Amino acid sequence: MTSAIGLSGLQKTYPGAPPVRALRNADLAINDNEFFTLLGPSGCGKTTLLRLMAGFEVPTGGKLTLFGEDIAHLPPEKRPINTVFQHYSLFPHMTVLENVAFGLKRLHKSDAEAKQVAQQMLDLVHLADFGDRKPGQLSGGQQQRVALARALAPQPRVLLLDEPLSALDLKLRQSMRAELKRLQRETGITFVFVTHDQEEALAMSDRIAVMSQGEIQQVGDPATIYEFPENRFVAEFIGDADFFEAEVLGGTEYKLSNGALLTGPRTEAAIGSQVTLFFRPEKAELKQSGSGLPGQVSEILYLGNSTDYVVDLAQGGALTVRSENHKDGTALADVGADVVVEIDPAAVRVVTT
Amino acid sequence: MTSLRETLRSHLALIPATATITIFMVLPILIILVYSFLAPGDYGGGKPEFSTNAYQRLLFQRDLFDQMVFDPAYLKIAFRSVWIAVVSVVGCLLLGFPVAYYIACQPEERRNIFLLLITIPFWTNLLVRTYCWILVLRDTGLVNVGLMRMGLIDEPLTLLYTEGAVALGLIYTYVPFMVLPIYASLERMDRRLIEAARDLYSNRWVALRYVVIPLAMPGIIAGAILVFIPALGAFIAPDLLGGGKNLMLGSLVQLQFSSARNWPFGSALAMVIMAMVLMCLFFYARSAKKNGGGIKH
Ligand SMILES: Nc1ncnc2c1ncn2[C@@H]1O[C@H](COP(=O)(O)OP(=O)(O)OP(=O)(O)O)[C@@H](O)[C@H]1O
Ligand SMILES: [Mg+2]
Repeated sequence: MTSAIGLSGLQKTYPGAPPVRALRNADLAINDNEFFTLLGPSGCGKTTLLRLMAGFEVPTGGKLTLFGEDIAHLPPEKRPINTVFQHYSLFPHMTVLENVAFGLKRLHKSDAEAKQVAQQMLDLVHLADFGDRKPGQLSGGQQQRVALARALAPQPRVLLLDEPLSALDLKLRQSMRAELKRLQRETGITFVFVTHDQEEALAMSDRIAVMSQGEIQQVGDPATIYEFPENRFVAEFIGDADFFEAEVLGGTEYKLSNGALLTGPRTEAAIGSQVTLFFRPEKAELKQSGSGLPGQVSEILYLGNSTDYVVDLAQGGALTVRSENHKDGTALADVGADVVVEIDPAAVRVVTT
Repeated sequence: MTSLRETLRSHLALIPATATITIFMVLPILIILVYSFLAPGDYGGGKPEFSTNAYQRLLFQRDLFDQMVFDPAYLKIAFRSVWIAVVSVVGCLLLGFPVAYYIACQPEERRNIFLLLITIPFWTNLLVRTYCWILVLRDTGLVNVGLMRMGLIDEPLTLLYTEGAVALGLIYTYVPFMVLPIYASLERMDRRLIEAARDLYSNRWVALRYVVIPLAMPGIIAGAILVFIPALGAFIAPDLLGGGKNLMLGSLVQLQFSSARNWPFGSALAMVIMAMVLMCLFFYARSAKKNGGGIKH
């Protein structure tokens, strides 16, 4: 099966002094019908990659294909790809219906057909009665959905979405997530979704590409990305993690830099070599006593559905344990309490730095 | 009580604006209106007696037997003036829009330099600048000599003292008035809308047609009005580049106040020009209202 969008060695360098290497040698294959997310911190090149796909930028190197066809130098209007812009970019001088019908008209659909399809699209985004309004008369969330309807109306092969939810408030954002998921399923269109919100990425995506400084760090489904990050950047960017520098003692034994011993996964690294270990804070357990790393609670962050306990380890260093509260709502430990942090060896991962 | 005081206060706040408009606009127009209903004084000015002669003269002429007969001479001048003014507006638009668009697409710092360049012609006297066009257009001028040297023509073309020369002079004079308002509306426009249009299967020209031009329409209309009105009443370019035979309303007015010494007739002409402009604006406003103020898509 050819992929919907394929990048091989794709590069984009913006001219300037010094030149900005916004995208370096990106290799990626986005499947048809996939909800694919580009995730990364601000300035990592997500928008650049999206603009390359849309045709607003010309790559300075590498290959860009759409269903096997080279599109690197095709102008945007020749690509069956539509974009939902971060700032919506609705045409202010047209009504909502005219906005949605715009692409169809430019594809030389008849007035009647364009209007009918546009109306269907407005139904799809629950704005059936808003066709006659001007975009300026809509709320942010409604404009967002018009932008979505406008981009979906010409039935593109691929839909690009650049942080479409970032301007919305939390509740609206959450309901739009479900909405987007539903639209993707119902239309069967490949979605390429850009966000810097890891929670959003994990909740919505079939697969995620994590980017940093113009490079793709890892591609995988949400669980793989979260559970088995390939490097420290990915582990740090997605969710929270406690890191330790450690020496490989052989087998499954590691000696942490503070001297404590920890059991983890088997590794190929040579005995005596230095590696980085990490685990997710919700996978460690806070105990009153027992085997594990002893320490003292130094800080408590109440998060509602869970609580973060920062524990100063007796042998030096600190780590965070995330834990649900007792069923009656009381905390597991107070600040200053002596505790033991128990880490299941299965939860420990080794990453390259 | 408070509401009364508030209305009073808001009226007070309007006094400076009202006074300015009264002194600089209403009063002069009233004076012109009064003059247009006087009989001409012997050495200019007006005799204080009521007369509609000035208006009659617009359409009628006294013949040898002292009968009033219809004479379309001034009507022709009025039509020619409107025609040349319209041509000037179209010319300014064709020339000014790309310039405004180009400037609006420049990076911020460079835009201001370009705007400064646009206003540079204003620093020199209009009369002198218009004279220069004579040097360009006359039989032994730049254009003709150039074309003949290149062997494209044998005889010099008649360029000067034509309606075309007048329109050229007017376009040259008023094109900044077109560029500036269009630039202002383009600069306000969100450039990302063009990308949105391109994304939705429009090439550059289609995007221009359906997005840029409709959004620049307020500027285009403002520019058209700003060019049309002074072009209609202009007299320097028609006098210098049109010669005697391509008289426009503006030159006619100017003539009445100088050598012809017929102030009432000049005033009546001025009133007619104003009425024509107001009529154009009225029709525009009405059609704009019918279209909901926007441009039909
Ligand atoms: N037109 C441009 N000219 C020069 N440099 C640019 C241009 N556009 C982007 N860049 C640079 O390229 C890098 C990547 O930018 P990009 O907009 O792709 O980031 P992003 O991942 O979308 O960030 P954000 O999450 O903040 O939107 C940044 O360092 C940015 O400064
Ligand atoms: Mg971005």
